[in-house]
Amino acid sequence: MTQTAANPHSPADVFTGLPVGEAGLAEAHALYRGMTVVRAVELEIEKMHRLGRMSGSFHSSLGQEAAAVGVCAALRDGDMVTSTHRGHGHALAKGVPMEGVFAELFGRTSGVSGGRGGSMHLHDRPSGFLGENAIVAGGLPWAAGAAWARRRRGGDDIAVAFIGDGGFAQGVTHETLLLARFWASPCLIVCENNGLAHSMPSDRLFGAPGSIARIVEGTGMHARYVDGRDVVAVAETAREMVARVRAGTPAFLECGVYRVRPHSLSDPDYRYRPKSAGPDWLALNDPIANLRTRLEAHAANRVARIDAEVAAEVEAARDRAEAAERPPAAAAKSFVYTSPELQNHA
Amino acid sequence: MREVKYAEAVRAALEAEMAADESVVVMGEEVAALGGVFTVTQGLLDRFGDDRVLDSPISEAGVVGFAIGAAAEGMRPVVEIMFSDFVLLALDQIINLGAKIRYMSNGQFSVPLTIRMPGGGGTNHGPQHSQSLESLFAHVPGLVVAMPSNVSDAYWMLRHAIRSDDPVIFLESKNLYFRTSGDIDARTGPDGFGARVARPGGDVTVVSAGRMVERCVLAADELAAEGVACEVIDLRYLWPLDTASIEASLRRTGKLAVVSEAVEFCGWGGEVAAWAGEHCFESLDGPVVRVGAERVPIPYGHALEDEIVPTTDRIAGELRKLAIY
Repeated sequence: MTQTAANPHSPADVFTGLPVGEAGLAEAHALYRGMTVVRAVELEIEKMHRLGRMSGSFHSSLGQEAAAVGVCAALRDGDMVTSTHRGHGHALAKGVPMEGVFAELFGRTSGVSGGRGGSMHLHDRPSGFLGENAIVAGGLPWAAGAAWARRRRGGDDIAVAFIGDGGFAQGVTHETLLLARFWASPCLIVCENNGLAHSMPSDRLFGAPGSIARIVEGTGMHARYVDGRDVVAVAETAREMVARVRAGTPAFLECGVYRVRPHSLSDPDYRYRPKSAGPDWLALNDPIANLRTRLEAHAANRVARIDAEVAAEVEAARDRAEAAERPPAAAAKSFVYTSPELQNHA
Repeated sequence: MREVKYAEAVRAALEAEMAADESVVVMGEEVAALGGVFTVTQGLLDRFGDDRVLDSPISEAGVVGFAIGAAAEGMRPVVEIMFSDFVLLALDQIINLGAKIRYMSNGQFSVPLTIRMPGGGGTNHGPQHSQSLESLFAHVPGLVVAMPSNVSDAYWMLRHAIRSDDPVIFLESKNLYFRTSGDIDARTGPDGFGARVARPGGDVTVVSAGRMVERCVLAADELAAEGVACEVIDLRYLWPLDTASIEASLRRTGKLAVVSEAVEFCGWGGEVAAWAGEHCFESLDGPVVRVGAERVPIPYGHALEDEIVPTTDRIAGELRKLAIY
């Protein structure tokens, strides 16, 4: 690990330069679009909750978009991703259709999980998005096992398991770190250190950002830290790690981000941090705004066009999703078992 | 087929399925070089190699989760949990993930996973190595719970489990591993999820599973000498529960006892009793009797264990009382 850990809590211009040449600029615009999609979808979901058109819980990844989008930019379609309760960004970045995400949160049949999973159970196999998991770090061994199985059956697909700093405290995380190395599973574990495990500050548990990567490095696994405010840096680092994983060894990437929103919609976060903490951080560190400023210096129209396209796309997808059918009553009991005999018995 | 021990029958089933299907792999603590602490996986490493017989670290949750992930991508892993008590470390992965992936994903994934574990008492292993946790698994949607009571079932039910496209909790009895031998029935393949009649009779229906079936048959032998014919039904699976077999027997006998090695309170025996009360009320000529373990940890020595887990004497005594109605 060669990088110095930057504290994503403090404002600093950490941004690397834009990729050079027209291809580099095109990629930067694609990253910008990817982050804009995540932001716009999640803001729309918040709005739907405010208006009472969606129900249940929702965990926003606002401010963390660069981690999801930067890492997934380094993946191929056939690669797999497991995620967390805060996984809408990972899903969208891996290519899960926005309408399927909206429909799932509206509880519609056309939702990626048929309207039976909801916000924390998006699953979309065609996109390689194995699924979110509402149990902290619960999806990590799934990714390791899936990557191992895929490799045994031929091909060089890999899996990425997103966890958070909270997930790094789970026993199964450490078990899987060991197992992935021991059984040579081609998986990349991405720990989004967003500064808070619900109300527990990450630095109280682990120290400054970068400490988690150092702990993992001590286990013998290749580990790096990257500042998650800079999507270009995340994508570059992820590409290096993904290449290593594709060659057959697991690796670990800690991504320093910040959780701008409360833990969930119902979380009174003012009890454990200043009310202004999220907005203040965003004002100085927003990964989208910062990339936008740099891109606008090249071609302002191009960025504005992306913003407009994404906004229209989100609105249309939300409309179609909300207008879709609700599942029939019989759907409540389907797919408990694969075997028809057992399913009929269920 | 030659007479084999229960542990050998389990091994023979693993060998048969591994030979038939390359996607079947065995994972667990000490399963490779050592061949399992109960010798069940002995010889598999030599025959199938270390990429199909994998020694794992002592990480039950990680290994089970890993196997779930592999199963969802088309492998058929068989995980050995050294003692069923240790599966408690992996319950999140089993219950929150393995049992639910199919449902949560709206049918996008299947989990063809078998988790084998020796459970129950009778081997003086003490309170953290002797529990009967089957009721807990029977409670969870998405799981199959298998409990073979004899050599032939150990063989065919395991082959069935490994071929199943759904996760199976396969509860072996470590007490039976070396104590019980017999022939493996000649069949062309596994049969379904039905119960079997372990001993026919027309006066009292005795429903049991796993290691307790043997004691029920012995108790029935005692009562037969006294002129009471007990029909012992070996459920073989706690889920799916073969209620048709229970009902068919109960319609003839009018009396039902349920015998479990699991703790009686909130146990699967209560489920069978309640089901019979709801569906066979008019056939019942007496109270439905449960004979299960006391709600106490399983102590070390036989003398103490016999105070907690149903013995042949206790079962026979309860059946005698029931027969009077």
